[in-house]
Amino acid sequence: MHVVRFTMPLFFIVLSVAYGMLIIQLPQATLGDPMAPFYFPIAICIGLFLFAVIDLVQVVKKKEHQYEEDVALLVRKSTIKTIAVIVTMCVVYTLMFEYTGFLLSTILFLAMLLFYLNGKRKWVMNVLVTGIVSISAWFIFSYLLEISLPGFGG
Amino acid sequence: MDWSIVIDGFFTALEPMNMVWLLFGALLGTIVGILPGLGPATGVAVLIPLTFGVNPVSALILMSSIYYGALFGGSRSSILINTPGDGSSIAATFDGYPMTLKGQAGQAMSIAAMASLFGGIMAIFGFIFLAIPLAQFALNFGPAEYLMLFLFTLSAVVALSTGKMIKGFVAMFAGLAISTIGIDLQSGVHRFTFGVPHFTDGINFIVIIIGIYALGEVLYNMFPKKKGQQPSNQHIGSKWFTKEQWKRSMGPIFRSGPLGFFLGVLPGSGGTISSLLAYSTEKQLSKRKNEFGKGAVEGLVAPESANSSAAVGSLIPMLTMGIPGSGTTAVMLGALVMIGITPGPLLFENSPDLVWTLINSMFIGNILLVMINILMVGMLIKVLRTPANVLYPIVLVLSFIGAYTLGYSTIDFYLLIIAGLVGLFMRVLDYPVAPLILALIIGGEMEQNMRRASIIYESPQAIFFASPIATTLFFLTLLSLSYPLILRLFKKRQDTNSNASM
Repeated sequence: MHVVRFTMPLFFIVLSVAYGMLIIQLPQATLGDPMAPFYFPIAICIGLFLFAVIDLVQVVKKKEHQYEEDVALLVRKSTIKTIAVIVTMCVVYTLMFEYTGFLLSTILFLAMLLFYLNGKRKWVMNVLVTGIVSISAWFIFSYLLEISLPGFGG
Repeated sequence: MDWSIVIDGFFTALEPMNMVWLLFGALLGTIVGILPGLGPATGVAVLIPLTFGVNPVSALILMSSIYYGALFGGSRSSILINTPGDGSSIAATFDGYPMTLKGQAGQAMSIAAMASLFGGIMAIFGFIFLAIPLAQFALNFGPAEYLMLFLFTLSAVVALSTGKMIKGFVAMFAGLAISTIGIDLQSGVHRFTFGVPHFTDGINFIVIIIGIYALGEVLYNMFPKKKGQQPSNQHIGSKWFTKEQWKRSMGPIFRSGPLGFFLGVLPGSGGTISSLLAYSTEKQLSKRKNEFGKGAVEGLVAPESANSSAAVGSLIPMLTMGIPGSGTTAVMLGALVMIGITPGPLLFENSPDLVWTLINSMFIGNILLVMINILMVGMLIKVLRTPANVLYPIVLVLSFIGAYTLGYSTIDFYLLIIAGLVGLFMRVLDYPVAPLILALIIGGEMEQNMRRASIIYESPQAIFFASPIATTLFFLTLLSLSYPLILRLFKKRQDTNSNASM
C-alpha cells in the first residue's frame, strides 16, 4: 500500500489540530456572549478530527482501493516532476504579477508553460498562442470589461 | 388576475428596441458567463453602465437578460473544460464534463440549454401565479428554518457521496472550517485571518472553486496516461441530443424546476444550493445511480433546470419586498434604485407594466438563449479541438485572471494554487468535492443563523421543533443521512431472502 493514500486523511487530521490550536488563540468577544465566536469553529474542529480519524482507519483497513491506477500514476517520477514544474511556474507568475504587470507576466508565464509542455520544435505555435491569448485577454478584461489589471511596475 | 396586463407586457417585450436589448444582454451575458470567475453577479455589475441612459423597462430587460445569459454561459465552461464560472454551475461539471470526455459535448450543451429553458419557463409560470404568496411564505423563514434548511442541504449533498460518506463528511467539515475565516459579523472578532487584511472579508469561494476544478483538472491531466489525451478529440459527437437522452431527462427537468424555483425564492439559498440539491435528489431517485458522475444525462439536466428556475425565483423577494436573495439580485437591486425603480409590494400595483414586461421578456429571452446557445455549440466545440497542451495553459491563465477579478489581490493566486493541489489529491484519492464547496458557500450564513436561533430558542430541541417548516426540514435531514443505511439494510435483507429461497 502506497503512502500517498494516507496523505489526505493525515492532512485533514493535521488541519483539524492546527485549527484547534488557532481556536484557542482567538480573542473573546467584547459584545454579548464572550465565547460566541468559538462555538461553531469548535464543533467543526471536533467533527473534522473525528471523521478524518475514521477515514484514516478505513484507509488502513482497506487493502484494495478503486483509485489504485491514479495513485500509481501520481507517484511516477515524471508526473511529480511535471506537476512540480507547473506549480513552480504558477508561484513565479504570482510573484511577478504585481511587479511586472499583467501583460508581461502573462506573456512570460504562458510562454514558459507552452515551451515546457510542447518543446522548442513547436516554437511558432507557442509564440503565436502566447501573443494572441495574452493580448486578447488583456484587451477584453482591461478595455471591454474595464477591469483594472496591474500595469508594469505594479 | 388581470390577464390584459400580462398580455400588454408581452407586446411591450416584443417591441423592437426591447428585443435588441434582450438579444444584446443575452449574448453579452453568455460570453461573460463562459469566462472563469465571472458569474452572473460580476457580469451584471460589470455591465451596469450599459443601462445608464436607457428607459427603466429596457434597463430591467437588459439586466435580467445578462443574468440569464451568464447562467447559460457558466454551464458551457463547466461542460467543456470543467471550469465552473460560479457556484450555480458547479453541478454541471459533475456529469456535464464526463459527457464531454465520452464525446458527447454537443449533446450535453444542447440538452443543458433545453433543461434551462424548461426550468426557466416553469419558473416564469410560477412567478405569474405565485409571486406574492411565495414572497409572504418566505417571510416565515426565520433563523431556525434557515439553519434547518442549510443542515438538510448539507446532509443531502453528503449523502449523495454513496460509499464514501465518511470522506464526504471530512470534505464538508473542511469546507465549514474555511468558511469561518474572516471577521465574525456578530462580534467583530477577527478569526483565522493571520493579520492579512485581505482575509477580513473571508475567502472568496469562487477562488476555491476555480482552484479545485480548473487547476485540479489541469494538474490531473498532466498524468502520463492523461498527457496529450484530449476529451474525445476525435469523437466530438452530435450537436443534438438523442430521443433516449430526452426521454431520460424529462422527469429530472420537471422535478428540478419547481424545486429550484422554491429555493430561489428563499433569500440566501439561490442557484448553488438549488442545483446541488436537485442533483442529489435526482441521484437518490434514479435507478441508474452508478452512472451519476460518469456522464449521466439526468445529472446534468436536473441542476441546469433548477438553477435556471432559481434565477427567476430569486427575483421574487427582490421585486416584491426589496430583499435581494443572491449576489446577483443585490447588484440588480442597487442598479434598479439608481435608475429610479423602487422595488417593494407597491411595485406590482404602481408599475405593473414594468413587472409584466420583465416577466414576458424573460420568457422570450429564454427561447432566444436556447437558440443562441445551440447555434454556439458548433463554435464552442472547437475549443475541444485545441490540443491539450495548448488548451490547459490557456485555462490556467484564465483561472488566474478570474481569481484576480474577484479580489484584485495576488493572495488569491496562492489560494488558487493550494486549492488546485488539494483538488488534485481529493480527485486522485476519491474525496467528493461537492460537500466541501457547498459547506464553504453556506458556512457563514449557517453559523449566523445558528447563533441567532440559539439566542431566540432556549435549547437545541426547541430549534428543531420551532415551526412545522423547521420540523419537516429536520426530519428530511435525518432521512437523507439514514437513507444510504436504510438502503443497505434493505438490500442485505433482499440478498438474504434470495439466498434462502435458492
